[in-house]
Amino acid sequence: MTLRDRRDIETDVYQPAEDSQLLADVVCERLAADPDDAILEVGTGSGYVAGRISEVTDARVVASDLNPHAVRQARGEGVESVRADLVSPFANDAFDVVAFNPPYLPTDPENEWDDWMERALSGGEDGRAVIDPFLERVGRVLAPDGVVYLLVSSLTGVDEVAERAGEAGFSAVAVADESFPFETLTVLELFE
Amino acid sequence: MKESLLEILRCPLDKHELELEDAEYDGEEIVAGVLVCAECGERYPIEDGIPNLLPPDMREETPA
Repeated sequence: MTLRDRRDIETDVYQPAEDSQLLADVVCERLAADPDDAILEVGTGSGYVAGRISEVTDARVVASDLNPHAVRQARGEGVESVRADLVSPFANDAFDVVAFNPPYLPTDPENEWDDWMERALSGGEDGRAVIDPFLERVGRVLAPDGVVYLLVSSLTGVDEVAERAGEAGFSAVAVADESFPFETLTVLELFE
Repeated sequence: MKESLLEILRCPLDKHELELEDAEYDGEEIVAGVLVCAECGERYPIEDGIPNLLPPDMREETPA
């Protein structure tokens, strides 16, 4: 990979950070080892979380992202990738596990969606512009007894997200958290 | 993508099954082709092994 390619990726695709690592750790730890399972990572970015999951399971791991640069990088990491809007192109009940590290930073409504990095980070005015539609739609693709692992920041509001999850028919349990100077990251486990 | 991925892929618009056309293979990988909705006929390209299943109205509005 040339320096130019590397620089393009770093400006166009969210690279793994503390939030990615926490989500990957939790999913890998809690995963039941069933090779017949199918696992989806939504908004995979670099493919890091999906790649980590692939290493610990024989289950089918699929990654999706809106961003064409992201799906290319994820595929380059060996992850089966689909360019998609959240879960819209997947079959009903297709996945036993769905993981998502969403764009969650609350941002000024004056800001335009003008580049891929902003799409990767910004959760709109309340930080839930992507999380809310995800919660409304993910149940359709989740198999009976399936679980969702959703990374949430204190900047977005864990209670608010858990409440939305409840409205979408999920029970939510915090299964891990980690504190940083400006935020606490929590992984919520959601089940129907 | 692998052909078996078709089992869990659906048309993002109406959730009907997709049919593979004009597939080019590299070993087990489908590297190019088109996925066509069996119901509405909408066509979704596979490029460099990655199916683009964004609904048509989202293909253009996203930044480059």
